[in-house]
Amino acid sequence: MSSTFAVTRLELRRLFVRPLAWVLAALTLAQLAWRFVLLLGNFLDNQIKLAALPGGPGYTDLVGVPLLSSALTVGILPFGLTELALLIVPLLTMSTLAGDRANGTLPLLFASGLAPSKIVLGKYLAVLLWLLCWLALTLAMPLSLAHGTHLDWGKFAAATLGLVLALAALGAIGIACSAFASLPAIAATASLTLSLALFTVNLAAQKAGVDNDLVNWLAMSTHLEALLRGLVSSADIAWFVLAIAVALALATRRLAADKELG
Amino acid sequence: MERLSLTLDRGQILGLLGVNGAGKSTTLSMIAGALRPDSGGIQLSGEDFLEHPALARQLVGWLPERAPLWPELTVSEHLVAHGRLRGLRSNALKQARDTIIQRLELGSLLRRLAGVLSQGQRQRLGLACALLHRPALLVLDEPANALDPVQVAALRTVIREEAAAGTAVILSTHLLAEVTAMCDRVAILHEGSLRHDAAVTDSDHKALERTFFDIAMNNGAMNNRRNPTA
Repeated sequence: MSSTFAVTRLELRRLFVRPLAWVLAALTLAQLAWRFVLLLGNFLDNQIKLAALPGGPGYTDLVGVPLLSSALTVGILPFGLTELALLIVPLLTMSTLAGDRANGTLPLLFASGLAPSKIVLGKYLAVLLWLLCWLALTLAMPLSLAHGTHLDWGKFAAATLGLVLALAALGAIGIACSAFASLPAIAATASLTLSLALFTVNLAAQKAGVDNDLVNWLAMSTHLEALLRGLVSSADIAWFVLAIAVALALATRRLAADKELG
Repeated sequence: MERLSLTLDRGQILGLLGVNGAGKSTTLSMIAGALRPDSGGIQLSGEDFLEHPALARQLVGWLPERAPLWPELTVSEHLVAHGRLRGLRSNALKQARDTIIQRLELGSLLRRLAGVLSQGQRQRLGLACALLHRPALLVLDEPANALDPVQVAALRTVIREEAAAGTAVILSTHLLAEVTAMCDRVAILHEGSLRHDAAVTDSDHKALERTFFDIAMNNGAMNNRRNPTA
C-alpha cells in the first residue's frame, strides 16, 4: 500500500505545483460563492411566504442542495457544483497518465516495481483527494449558516454522499480516458464527452422519443438526483461503485498492455 | 528480442552495443522492469524479477534514454519522489538524498524545475534518481548522449565508483570508444538478438570495431567468441 501512496503523493505534488489546479479551484469556488449568494437572496426574499406553507421547502431545499447541483433548481442561475465538475474533472485528470506517457515518465513508474493497478489507484486517490477538498470548501458555504437556520442534516448528508460518489465516478472516468490517450488534450476531450454523455443520456433519449428503464438506469443524473432529493438507495450507490470499478479496471488494463507491449 | 541470454557479475560493467533499432533500449527496459517480456526470465541474486516485481524496485536503478522527468517538479522533489517510489522512508530517504546531492553536485540545482534543466543537468538528475536507493544493478541507456567531454568524464567516474563498490552496471551505447573506455565486457545486439558477447581489453578497440561493422553491415550470425580478435 505504501507504494500506492508514493504515487498518490507524487501526483498530489504535481497537481499542487501546476497553476491549472489552483486556477480551477479559485474560479469555480468564486462562481459557487456567487450562486450561494443568489440562492440565499431568493430564500430570504421568500422566507415569509415559505414559513406560511406547512412542510414547505426550507434552507436545505432552497440553498444547501441547489448549491451542489442545478438539477433541482428552476430559473437562470450560475452552475452548481455537479455541472462545474463535469467541466473541471477532465481538466484535472487529463495529465495524470497521458502526461506521464507524453513525458516518457510512465516507464519510470513501471520500473519502480509498481503493478499497473497500484499506479492507477495511486493517481486516482490523488485526484479524489483534490476533489474532496474542493467539495469540502463548497460545503463550508451552506454549513457556515447552519447555526442560524434549520438545516435538514439527513437530506444534506444524502446530497453530499451523492456528490462524493459523482465526483468519484467522474474522476475515475477521467483517469480511464487519460490512460487511453496519448496526449492530455485528447484525454480531456474524451473525458468531457464521455462524462456529458453518461450524465445526459436519458435526456437525449427522451428528446429522441425513447424513454425506457435501461436508458434511465444508464444515466448518472438519475442516480444523483435521487440522492440529492434525500433518497439513499443501495441500487444508486451500486451504480456509482460499478462505474468507478469499470473505469479503473479499464485504466489498469490499458497500463498493463503498455507494460506488455511497450 | 529473441534468444537473448546475458549473465553479469557484481562489479562488472557490461557495454551493450548496437546500431539504432538493434533492441538495446528494449532489452534495458525489460531488465529495468519497465517492459514485460513475453517469455523468459530475469534473475538477480537468484530471484526472478518477473515473479517478484518488488525486487526490481529495490535492486535496480535505471536511467532511461534522455532522462525523462516531470517538468513541473524541482530537482529536490524528483529525488524525494524517486526515493519514495523505491521504498525509502523518512530518515533513510533524507540520508540517501543528501548523499547523492553531494556526490553528483546537485546542491545548486535543488530548487530548479526539471523542465528548465540543460541536457547535462537532466542526465545528472536522472543518474541521481537511479543511484538514490543504492541499487545492486545499474541500467544506463545511452548515458553519455548530449554530454560535453567534462560531463562525460564525470559520468565515467561515477560509473567506475559504482562498479568498484560492487554494483553491476549495464550501459547501452552506440559509441565503440565508450565501451573500450568503460566496460569489462561487451555484448553486441543486432535485429533483436545477441550476436557477440566477449571480454574487453585495452587493445581491443580496432578488433571490436571490425566485429561491430561485420555484424552491422553483413547482418552476421551469432558470434559468441570470448575474444573478439579470434
